[in-house]
Amino acid sequence: MVMSLDHLPEEILHAILCYLHPRSAAALEQTSRRFKSVTSVPLLWRHYCASHFKSWDRKHDILHKIVAPPSEVNWKALFVLRSETDRAVTRLLDSILASQTGRIEKFRAVIDFGYDAKDTLVRHSEVESGEDYLARRFDSPADVYVHCRSRYYARALLTCLHRSIAVPEWAKLRRGEPVSLERALGAFDLFIPESGYGDLDEIKHTLDDLVIQYQAADPESRTLTPRQQALSLSSWLRDHDLTGIEIGREYHALEHNFLGLALNSQGHNSLPLISAAIYCYVAREIGLNAHPCGFPFHVHVIVTPNPGFDMNGEALSGGEIGTPMYLDPFRGARETPLADLRDQLVFLGASETEQAAFLGPSQTSEIVQRCSRNIWTSIDSASQGAPGHTSSVDVVSAKYASLWSSMLLTGNSRPMDLRHHLPLLMELFATDFPSDIFLVEQYIVPLFQGLFEHEHILESLHVMRAVDEIPKQVRRRTGENQNIRFMVGQVFRHRRYHYRAIITGWDRECGAGEQWMRRMGIDRLQAGRHQSFYHVLSLTTFRVEDGSVRYVAEENIDLILPVLSDLPTGLTSIAGKHFKRWDEESRAFVSNMRDEYPDN
Amino acid sequence: MSSQITLTSSDGVDISVDRTVAERSILIKNMLEDLGDSGEPIPIPNVNEAVLKKVIEWCEHHKNDPVTATDDDDNRRKTTDIDEWDQKFMQVDQEMLFEIILAANYLDIKALLDVGCKTVANMIKGKSPEEIRKTFNIQNDFTPEEEDQIRRENEWAEE
Repeated sequence: MVMSLDHLPEEILHAILCYLHPRSAAALEQTSRRFKSVTSVPLLWRHYCASHFKSWDRKHDILHKIVAPPSEVNWKALFVLRSETDRAVTRLLDSILASQTGRIEKFRAVIDFGYDAKDTLVRHSEVESGEDYLARRFDSPADVYVHCRSRYYARALLTCLHRSIAVPEWAKLRRGEPVSLERALGAFDLFIPESGYGDLDEIKHTLDDLVIQYQAADPESRTLTPRQQALSLSSWLRDHDLTGIEIGREYHALEHNFLGLALNSQGHNSLPLISAAIYCYVAREIGLNAHPCGFPFHVHVIVTPNPGFDMNGEALSGGEIGTPMYLDPFRGARETPLADLRDQLVFLGASETEQAAFLGPSQTSEIVQRCSRNIWTSIDSASQGAPGHTSSVDVVSAKYASLWSSMLLTGNSRPMDLRHHLPLLMELFATDFPSDIFLVEQYIVPLFQGLFEHEHILESLHVMRAVDEIPKQVRRRTGENQNIRFMVGQVFRHRRYHYRAIITGWDRECGAGEQWMRRMGIDRLQAGRHQSFYHVLSLTTFRVEDGSVRYVAEENIDLILPVLSDLPTGLTSIAGKHFKRWDEESRAFVSNMRDEYPDN
Repeated sequence: MSSQITLTSSDGVDISVDRTVAERSILIKNMLEDLGDSGEPIPIPNVNEAVLKKVIEWCEHHKNDPVTATDDDDNRRKTTDIDEWDQKFMQVDQEMLFEIILAANYLDIKALLDVGCKTVANMIKGKSPEEIRKTFNIQNDFTPEEEDQIRRENEWAEE
């Protein structure tokens, strides 16, 4: 008998297949009946599914499938479906890059895959991370920026996917449906890529781990009275720096507003609101009836005894309700006497009814709105003072989260507030998050039903779609366009205002409206309105990342030839909107808007 | 206590080997622990002399490796990289390769089994069904209709 592959027992062939890409399993399957049967084992395809794909859309109910007997699930079909999704998403990304037309529908197609698209987006957005790019940019100039565009759109879609998980939570709260506090607050984390979370369940798991740690550290706590338990938990959290803010840190720092970020980051620094949320989660898991309490300026926690008992575990006579206790997990283990809280409220001039409201448990929607206001305060205080303090959280994303949450939870009862937020939200959406158009249509538009803004919003969305669908007019550098001096991708300094900017487009003469030209005094320029004008992306604004878009006359352009290291490093993320890469030789960006400017 | 023990191959040849080397095999290690070292030759009924010598050669070379018996599957399966000495060691004809794999499986030498599996995996990697058939001399026993259907079912895997 001559030994051959055929003679190996099934479990060894299985081990060999586990080392191979599923494509090779598919190839082996086609060789003979024996190998067809070996490669058709569901366990093998479960292994491939688990090792190739991390994120699964909810519709698969993957956690349930994983624990089910392997033969009950068509794992191979699932794997094939996911590979095809991966290809489809890659194709869509390529096509988003190839043409500026029809992007909205392509965004939608990607987002419609839900979390099944996530692995692909993550892969494309990590092609070259910021640090790598910095480290590598002098090694191989040709590679620099090669992927900046695909990275830009992959990231944009990834964060859009996260927001499409977050927004419905707030919408549920708005409809009065129950949403747990950790989900409602975790939704803020999904708006900011820095949190590292892509899913609300992940935040819950982190909290569950805390519960396990606490129970392991303090196994005796079950024998304590509710009051002792409440205090013991508060001091355990504080002792482990899981609540509160380390001494010397800026209280209003933006990163202190995010539940997931606080749980994940080194010092676990959080504002009282977030500290209270962490406390309440663990407290409830160990059987305490704990809620955040809407005390002004500083969220406390209220713990109410079980009906028929007081906080010391003593039985009360005849249906009496025990007196609750108050705590401040942000500061630590001590109980806050009710009298102190009352004194402060009296000092603030609160009426009896207001006092009752401030001292009672808060609704989740109130806490979310409060968090949203806190974020705004943090952004304000950062922009006003403390130069040198740069936030580790992207300010634009945080602002956007705050706007979404406050608009969704404000309710139609206060149209003034809605109106107040709308222009800001629409502006951010249009400039930074255009792939959110579906979220805006689904969740923001209905808020304005019956208000006069309704038509305006519909109109702007309509315009966005229309512009998106029109193929870009091809601008060649022939005929009357042949005298346009500068090229898309070149970098210049503005002769009068001295900021640096990249050229992203041009017009033969000023294409802006009459009003704008008058306001900007265009006719006072030497060559007036009949000279070439350039669309540019400014580099030297306060925040590089939101590089503003401007329109500049040719006579104000003073071309510069920077080396890449002279340019702001945060640039990659925005340059990706328009450019393929940096070219060290010509000291300019390489345009990827060939559909519009074939000759640059 | 580096004593020598004797193994008897399936074709009746006695081979003397350091106990520590032989104990790379969990099967032999357990046998020695359960029965004690009586000094009697230990029969290895499933492995012939040529293969057993080859396996011992591998164990000799790897006798100082940390024991990785509890290595979890995921880490192990990430890569098909094989260290240089092992690659050379595995440059044998196919028959010997499969014999080594079976022996490693029988003797319970996990690390050697892994190297064997990786070697075979590398021989399959990137090949078309026809190339795989040629490499391993596999008889195509599908009817043309079956073959056609299976090919269609696997179109997703084509580059």
